[in-house]
Amino acid sequence: MSKTVMIVDDSASLRQVVGIALRGAGYEVIEACDGKDAISKLIGQKVHLIISDVNMPNMDGITFVKNVKQMPNYKFTPVIMLTTESQDGKKQEGQAAGAKAWVVKPFQPAQLLAAASKLILP
Amino acid sequence: MISHDVDNGIYRVKVEGEMTIYHALEHKQALLECLGHCTEMEINLSGVSEMDTTGFQLLVLAKREAEKIGRPMRLVKHSPATLEVMDLFHMAAYFGDPVVMP
Amino acid sequence: MNMDDALQTFLIECRELLQAMEEALLNLESEPDDKEAIGAVFRAAHTIKGSAGLFGLDTIVAFTHVAENVLDKVRNGEVPVDSNLIALLLSSGDHIAILVEQIAGQGVEPDEATCAAGEALLQQLKTYLAGEGQGVQITQSSVTQPHDAPLQSSGGGLVGSDTWHISLRFGHDVLKNGMDPLSFLRYLATLGEIVSVTTLPDAMPLAEQMDPECCYLGFEIDFRSTADKTMIEGVFEFVRDDCNLRILPPHSRVTEYIQLINDLPEDKVRLGDILINSGVVTQKELDEMLICQAMRSCIAEDAQSGEHVPPVPPLGEILVQEGMVQKELVDAALGKQKQARDNKAQESRYIRVHADKLDDLINLVGELVIASASAALLSQRSRDTMLHEATSTMSRLVEEIRDGALQLRMVPIGETFNRFHRVVRDVSNDLGKEIGLEIGGAETELDKSVVEKIGDPLMHLVRNSMDHGIESAELRQQRGKSAKGTVRLNAFHESGSIVIEVGDDGGGLNRDKLLAKAIERGLVGPNQSLTDQEVYALIFEAGFSTADAVTSISGRGVGMDVVRRNIEALRGMIEIDSVQGVGTTIRIRLPLTLAIIDGFLLGVGSASYVVPLDMVMECIELSEAERQETRERNYINLRGTVLPFIRLRDHFREQGKAGRRENIVVVQYAGQKAGLVVDELMGEFQTVIKPLGKIFGNLRGVSGSTILGSGEVALILDVPALIQRSVNQEAKSAGQEKLVALLK
Repeated sequence: MSKTVMIVDDSASLRQVVGIALRGAGYEVIEACDGKDAISKLIGQKVHLIISDVNMPNMDGITFVKNVKQMPNYKFTPVIMLTTESQDGKKQEGQAAGAKAWVVKPFQPAQLLAAASKLILP
Repeated sequence: MISHDVDNGIYRVKVEGEMTIYHALEHKQALLECLGHCTEMEINLSGVSEMDTTGFQLLVLAKREAEKIGRPMRLVKHSPATLEVMDLFHMAAYFGDPVVMP
Repeated sequence: MNMDDALQTFLIECRELLQAMEEALLNLESEPDDKEAIGAVFRAAHTIKGSAGLFGLDTIVAFTHVAENVLDKVRNGEVPVDSNLIALLLSSGDHIAILVEQIAGQGVEPDEATCAAGEALLQQLKTYLAGEGQGVQITQSSVTQPHDAPLQSSGGGLVGSDTWHISLRFGHDVLKNGMDPLSFLRYLATLGEIVSVTTLPDAMPLAEQMDPECCYLGFEIDFRSTADKTMIEGVFEFVRDDCNLRILPPHSRVTEYIQLINDLPEDKVRLGDILINSGVVTQKELDEMLICQAMRSCIAEDAQSGEHVPPVPPLGEILVQEGMVQKELVDAALGKQKQARDNKAQESRYIRVHADKLDDLINLVGELVIASASAALLSQRSRDTMLHEATSTMSRLVEEIRDGALQLRMVPIGETFNRFHRVVRDVSNDLGKEIGLEIGGAETELDKSVVEKIGDPLMHLVRNSMDHGIESAELRQQRGKSAKGTVRLNAFHESGSIVIEVGDDGGGLNRDKLLAKAIERGLVGPNQSLTDQEVYALIFEAGFSTADAVTSISGRGVGMDVVRRNIEALRGMIEIDSVQGVGTTIRIRLPLTLAIIDGFLLGVGSASYVVPLDMVMECIELSEAERQETRERNYINLRGTVLPFIRLRDHFREQGKAGRRENIVVVQYAGQKAGLVVDELMGEFQTVIKPLGKIFGNLRGVSGSTILGSGEVALILDVPALIQRSVNQEAKSAGQEKLVALLK
C-alpha cells in the first residue's frame, strides 16, 4: 500500500513539481494551497507525511502545524517544513510546534524526496 | 482493534488493522489485560495491516511480561506488515515463534 | 501531468503573483503601513523564488532572493516603506517579469541589457541589506550519489567484517514527533546493505510505567555501504538532536583514514580539525564532544572543594570512550598533530623583531666598525704595543659582532621555496599537466629584504616554466621523457651573490622562433648576429611572448620584462640557459645586500675606492711596456685570454698626474672578468655600505660609499656595472677593428 503525502504550498507550480517528484517515487499525493485548505483536506483522509510551506495566505505554516498536532488522527504524523535560509527563527518556531524535519527553500526535487524518504518510504 | 477468544484459559488474541502509535495506548491496555487473565496467550497477527515501532514495542513488552509471570506467549500468523518489521529489527529469534511465510 | 505543464503553471502563477505584487505596491504608495499589502508583496517574491528553485531557474532565484530579503526586512519593520523603495520594488517586479518570460517562457538566457539592468537593481536592493551576507545556494542533492573516489581505491573490495558500525539510542519523544526508527532503518537500507541489526529493548521500563507512545529502543547496526560518514549521519538528520548516534567506520577504512590523516597538510594543530578534514568524524560529532568536554571541565572546576574528581580527559580519549572513532585513528591523528606541533614549535623558537630595530642595530654596528678602524689606525701610529693589542682584540670582536648582526637579517630561502609546492600543485592541476617540484639549496641564506622582494618574480618564472616550458604529457612521451615534468628551484652562494635558479625539463627555448619574433617586432635587425644568451634574453623584452596559446596561468607577454625590472631593481642580474628539447634554466643573481662587506681598498690619485673583496680574482702590476701598449686599447693579454679593462682614472675623471706605477685588479662577476686599472692597492678593509643619496642614483659604476678610518669618504664600485661596461666597450671597439680590417 503506497503512502500518502500532503503538500501544502500556495504556489501551484511548486505543488506540481513536488507532486511529479513524489508520485514518480511512488507516493500518493494530496495538494493543498494553504493551511486552511490542508486542514479541510486532512479530515477523512489518511496522510502519512505532511510537507508544508511556512509563508502562506489564510493560514500560515506554523499555525497549520499547531493545528495538525491537535488533530487526534494526525498528532503523530511527521511534518516537513519548507523554510527559507533567512528564516532560522521560523525553523525554530516550526520545530517547537512539532515539525521536526525541514528542507530549505529553494530546493531541488531530489532533496525533498530524500527528506521525505527518511521519514517514510513510498 | 483487539479481540480475543478464550479456550480453556488459553487466550487467542487477534489484532486487526493498524498497530501504530494512534492505537498504542488502547492496545497496551488490552494486551496486558489478556495477559493478566490467561494461562497461555497466542497473538494472531494476520490482520495487522500496518505496524510501527510502538506496535512492535508492545509485542516485546507482552513477551517480556509473559516470561516474567511464566506464561507461554506465541505470535502466530504474522501478516506481511508484521514480518517486515520483525525482519528489519532482526527480532524474529527473540520471539522464537515459527514464522510461516504467508 | 509532466514538467512542461508544471512550467506553464509556473508562468501563469508568476504573472498572477507579479500582478498582485504590483497592485499591493501601488496600494502601499497611499497606505505605507498596510501590513497585508506588505505581506502580499513578500509572499509573491518568496513564492516565485521557491518555485523557480524547483525548476532550477537559478538566475531568477538569485535575483528574487535579494528582493525577498529586503521585503523580509520591510515586513519586520526594519526598513521603512517610502516612495523610493516602492519605485525600486516596482522595477524589481518588472525585472522578475522579464526574467520569467525570457527564461521560463522562451527558454532563453536573459540578454545583456537585462542582465545589466538586473545588476543595477541588485546594487540598489543591497543597499537596504547593508552588512549581511547575501549568498544564496542551491545545494546539490546530497543523497543521491554515493561518494566514490578516493576511498574505494585501496583494499580489494569490501569483505565480510568490513562494515560500518552504527550505534543508535533513540530519545523517548521521537515517535510522538512522527519520527519512527523503522523509517530510518528502511531509508538506511537504500544506501547500502544492513548486514545485521541488534535491537536492544532493555531500556523499556516496567509495564505500568511504560508509555506505549514513547520509544525505548536502541540499535546496534552493521552496515555495508560506499556512503561516507556524513551521508550516513544525514540519514538521522531529523532526529539528530533526539538520539545518541555513533558511527564507526569499517576496518578497511581505518587504514584509508590513517592514510588521509597522514596526507593532510601539516598546519593543523587541532585534533578536531585533523579528524574532520580526514572525514573520520563529522562536524556534528565533534561539536557534541567539545560540549561534552567543556561540561566535564566545568564539573571539574565546580568540584574544587577537595573531593577527588578525575581530570578532564583529552578530546581524543573522549572520542574513543564515546565510541565515535577507533583508537588507531585517534593515534594517527595525534601523531599528525605532534608533527604539526613540532613544526610550530620550531617556528616558535624564533622571536619576532621589528625590521626597523634590526636596521638600526646594523647601522650602529656599521658606525662601530668605522670607529674601531679609526682606533686601530691611531693605535698603530702610537706604537704602543699594549694599546695595539687591545685594539686588535676589539677589532676582532667588532668583526664578530658585525657578522652576527648581519646574520640576524639572513633567512634561509627554503621557506620561500616551500611555498611553491602548493603553487606547482595547483597550477599543474589547472593546466592538466603532471608536474613535480624539486628544491635544492633550501638552506642558502640571504637578506630578509631580498627574500621579501624575490617572491613575485619567482612566482612568475615558475608559472611561466610550467605553462610554456613543460610540454604536454603526450609530447613529453613522444620525446622520450617521463610524462611527469619537473620544475627545479635551486639556490647557492657564488662570489658575494646568491644565485637562484628556476629550471624545468621542458621543451627549452626555440632560438629560431625567438629570433624571428624579435626581427618581426623590430627588436633586432635582420642581419644582426646574436649569441644564444642574447637571443634568450629577448624574452625579457616588453611585450614579447612566443607562446602559441595564451593561457590564464602565465602571461600575455607582460610579465617577463617586469621580472627583469624587479631583479634589476634589486641590483641583480638574470640570465637564461636553454637546450631545446631538454629544458631551460633561468638564473637570478642577486647581491646578498649586506650592509657591511669585506672590501678591497684601491687608490686612484687622491681618491679611494672599494670593491667587494670576494669579487677580486687577482692583482697584476702593469709593466712599463704594457702601460705603453695599452694607452690606445682597453684590453690586455692575460695568460692568453683577452681581458678588457677600465682605467678608473679616466672613468672618474680623476685630476692630477698618473702615479708612477699602475696595477690591474681583476674582478669577476657572473662568469665575466674585467680589469680595473688603479694606482695603488691598499689592502683589505671592512666596509660599511652607506647608500648614496638620490641625487647620485644615476651615477654609473658606483653602488654606495663608505667612511674610512681616517674619516675620508671612499666610493664603493658597482663591479657588475663596470664589467658590463668594459665588456661592451671591448666588443664595440673589437667590432670596429674588425670592420677596419675588412675595409683594408
